[in-house]
Amino acid sequence: MTSTAESLRQRVNRALNSQKPKTITVLSCLLAVEDELGYIPQEAAEEVARFTDSTINDVWGVASFYTNFQFQPPGRHRVEVCWGPTCHVLGAMDAIGEVLKSLDLSGEGTTDDGAISLRYNTCLGACANGPVMSVDHHLIGRITPERAAQIVGELKERQTVGGPGAP
Amino acid sequence: MADDQITITIDGVEVMARPGQTVLEAAIEAGIYIPYLCYHPGLKPFAACRMCVVEVENGPGFPASCTLPVADGMVVKNTSNQVHELRRNIMEMLIAEHPHGCLTCHRVDLCGPQDICLRHVSVNDRCVTCPKNERCELKDTVRYLGMSLESPLEYKYRDLPVETGDPFYDRDYNLCIVCGRCVRVCEEVRGDNAITFTERAGQALVGTSFGTSLLESGCEFCGACLDVCPVGALVESDHKWEKAQRVERTICPHCPVGCQLNLEVNQFGKVIRSIPEINSPANKGQACFKGKFGLDFVNHKERLKKPFIRRDGKLEEASWDEALDYMAERLQPYKGPSFAMLTSPNSTNEEHYLAQKFARVVMGTNSVDQTSNTRPIMAEALQEVLGYAAATNPIWELEQAKCILVFDANLTEEHNVLGVPIKRAVKEGTRLIVIDPREVELTRYAHLWLRPRPGTELLLLGAILKGILDQGLERREWLDENCEGLEALRGALASVDIDAVVEESGVSRDLIDKAVRIYAPSEPSAIVYGLDNVPEELHRDCVHALASLALLTGNLGKAFSGIYPLRRGANEQGAWDVGCVPHLLPGYAPVSDAGARRRFEEEWGCRIVEEPGLSLQQIFDEARLGQIKAMFIVGDSPNLNNGELGDGLAALEALEFLVVQDTFLSPAAQRAHVVLPRATFAEKSGTFTNLERRIQTIRPVVSIKSSEARSEERTICQLAQRMQAKGFDFSSSAEVMDEIARLTPIYGGVSHRRLEAEGRIVFRPDVSNPLPTQVLYSDKEYRGLQWPCLTVESKGTPTLYSEGFTVRKARMPAPDFRKAEIDHSGSDRPFVFAPGRVLLQSEREIDVIKGKENRVEREEIIELHRDDARMLGVQEGDVVEVQTNRGAVRGRAVFRDGIQRGVVSATFLFGQLMVELEASQDPDPMSRVPGLEVTSARLIKVSNP
Repeated sequence: MTSTAESLRQRVNRALNSQKPKTITVLSCLLAVEDELGYIPQEAAEEVARFTDSTINDVWGVASFYTNFQFQPPGRHRVEVCWGPTCHVLGAMDAIGEVLKSLDLSGEGTTDDGAISLRYNTCLGACANGPVMSVDHHLIGRITPERAAQIVGELKERQTVGGPGAP
Repeated sequence: MADDQITITIDGVEVMARPGQTVLEAAIEAGIYIPYLCYHPGLKPFAACRMCVVEVENGPGFPASCTLPVADGMVVKNTSNQVHELRRNIMEMLIAEHPHGCLTCHRVDLCGPQDICLRHVSVNDRCVTCPKNERCELKDTVRYLGMSLESPLEYKYRDLPVETGDPFYDRDYNLCIVCGRCVRVCEEVRGDNAITFTERAGQALVGTSFGTSLLESGCEFCGACLDVCPVGALVESDHKWEKAQRVERTICPHCPVGCQLNLEVNQFGKVIRSIPEINSPANKGQACFKGKFGLDFVNHKERLKKPFIRRDGKLEEASWDEALDYMAERLQPYKGPSFAMLTSPNSTNEEHYLAQKFARVVMGTNSVDQTSNTRPIMAEALQEVLGYAAATNPIWELEQAKCILVFDANLTEEHNVLGVPIKRAVKEGTRLIVIDPREVELTRYAHLWLRPRPGTELLLLGAILKGILDQGLERREWLDENCEGLEALRGALASVDIDAVVEESGVSRDLIDKAVRIYAPSEPSAIVYGLDNVPEELHRDCVHALASLALLTGNLGKAFSGIYPLRRGANEQGAWDVGCVPHLLPGYAPVSDAGARRRFEEEWGCRIVEEPGLSLQQIFDEARLGQIKAMFIVGDSPNLNNGELGDGLAALEALEFLVVQDTFLSPAAQRAHVVLPRATFAEKSGTFTNLERRIQTIRPVVSIKSSEARSEERTICQLAQRMQAKGFDFSSSAEVMDEIARLTPIYGGVSHRRLEAEGRIVFRPDVSNPLPTQVLYSDKEYRGLQWPCLTVESKGTPTLYSEGFTVRKARMPAPDFRKAEIDHSGSDRPFVFAPGRVLLQSEREIDVIKGKENRVEREEIIELHRDDARMLGVQEGDVVEVQTNRGAVRGRAVFRDGIQRGVVSATFLFGQLMVELEASQDPDPMSRVPGLEVTSARLIKVSNP
């Protein structure tokens, strides 16, 4: 057993044990892990199974049901573009196209260098300012395809020039 | 009309139903067909496929009848045009995700695999290339609904790789219709959760966590999911495309649970698949890896087909007449104490009876035993206390016990289906206590796992008994009425000092207390015990202590309680019943009892030796000393060369004359002077008695081409006749059973005619309706008879002692509570190695190399005690090797608190065993599944981390 796997399990267990809701379920455990690690590795599924006295397959049934959960480590930055009805009507798809091109992705996912993760979002809750995108949970409204490409471009730039920097 | 009767109307027909039933169940019982795909008898309703929608008068919408409870006066329409149209629409959506070019084609049953298709259905999508063709419920349902050729929905192939790397069965999720039967049977019935629903909505499918192989997902390879799958998604990988021509019901020969199996036979007379029977009392539609995938030996090409006689040191082919004449002549001089007869645990009752009769009447010796009977005390000691040497209650009553104590038994492997009611019970809240030094599958389910140091099991039981008496938890009144000798037990317990037990066994006082407080007040509680690793010197006292546990708490003679000894072989129970043991005549009449002897002497017209014969162990000891000179062995047994009997093969080599009747040229057969080909369970008729005393019929399923294999029944009769013995002129096994019934009171009311005649027709399949395979095959229910069945009027006895201890009171034993010294500290193997095996270990990393055949490659962990490690200079993480006389295991050292000083342990993965079994070249690997044996070992440090 490698030491990284071991420390991963320790982090997972810390997250599991620090839960405070009244009822602890497989779902609440998965959320706790997602908050701690940003994704659900196989080790975490195993630990959750042990913690909730279920099996890894039960945990997987829940985890794979919700699209919120990711199973790969997320990129250092998280870009979300809303494609909910309002943003869609206001031209979100064009913005998404530009973001994809800029990140060299074909859909949701993480760039090859692990820097940026792109997710589609069905509503970021700011419909009045649509189309909306968010960078590391920071909302940016009324984006155009050009503006979206520029934002992502700047983020990429920061990654390569300034090293890992907080937004 | 009674209160518990509800009348509903389905299409104008009045149907009686019970409250709580669903409309679908009521319809099935009334013989009215409603199409369904996700419903399966034995599973909870799920309402996933929506195929069973009906219309209810004055009710809203179209409810699914599988989840619609019946209500009095309900008027259901099942065949209205609207319902029919709706079902067709639903089916259109279902088959939009399943290849259906052929399904909706009128030529579906006319095409062959190579035919040119006028509809351009690609070869991959054709029904004729599907392994489930001709037994596909989806196809039948599509035909039933009369789907039109053109579907408005576009079909998209999922394009998933077919999973073929795991042992025994293939999974093609391109064909899956997500009915969920497999997921539900795995969870609800088997309690394993080895598969789950993945993702959701349009992507929803069945799979494992992170898409791992079944080897690491906790699969026990029982095949239950295959049995319920309505399409070709899950199929056995052997004989995958072969079609069954007929189906025969028989009993599994692998363990004493006595599962009824429906064997599918193809056009060449080969057994191709095994489908467990749903209406069978012992297994209720379940089987295990042995019964489901371990019957290949029946058609194995290496089977012996002719008799052989050793001439000039070489085995030469001979005719049966030659062989029998030769044997009759050669056996003459060994009449008396120099001959021994050994039967196989999967010989039938009739064969066991004839074998002991042959030994006693013709050969004049009581030395007759089964090759599997290495733990004779297991049942004998139970008889001493209670009166009968058998489990007291039916297997499936375990499901409703409130507490189950499992003692030193790896039953999820050795008696797999027995584990099903136990796991189900635990799910419903039953408390499970496991006493075992090894980690076995049930320890995961256990509320309490008491892990005594090997050799201290009896002390631990003493502490529990003492705890019960100290806390006044015994059932006084019941004991006064049913049992004698309580004071003797009190006396024996006086020497038990709980603190000393804690020290010796390494089990904490808290755990012992908990065990007392869970087992004693739970009502009812049951005990299941094997004696896998208890040292032989403690066998009798351990069984006595377990029986006292049941007696003290009054857990006998009532439903859902009792005590279950776990023998190994399929029909060891029957062998004991009909006297195929050295010290008992049929019906447990002691050989030493002159009255009993006289009765049999008159019946058989011979003189029976008054001295009990030699037991299996003694027979081999005497053979080595040259006292036993001739032997007749039926069947193969791992015991002959696994050390249980010392060097068994060397003992056989020392014999002057050895006859072996076996299915294969086993190591024993290779040393024989006469080798006879033996018919398997699938070629003969007779009865097996399972561990719950149920006498069930096995039937001839196949006949092997150009094989002269015969049952030992026929061999023994002909041999006896050639030796001028009377009373062996039976023309069928039914006649043998008649004689058994006449001489064995507990079998008094049993006959083949009766077992056959009492088969109840449960269901008349209407072949025009699509039905699950298991339902189609279950045309008749055979419940067998549970002895004691004294007369032809008797219905048998499901629970022993339910009328009280009528023959005699139970005798409370007074075991000598002590430990067995397994102290090898002076020897070169100072440690005790306790191997374990589980389905999955969530906390351990497992690597599965996926390939044509998946392999488990993982680093083993050797658990040991801190103090021992210090003495050996081993640090946590060091690579160490455990060496036993059976081989070596290498792994990384880990210190665990649960491990006792002087004990090392390693827990292996069941998947590894499955891979080995599938790859095995042994003709019958299932009969040789290695048990988890506690042995002495030495520990060697290999390297630092």
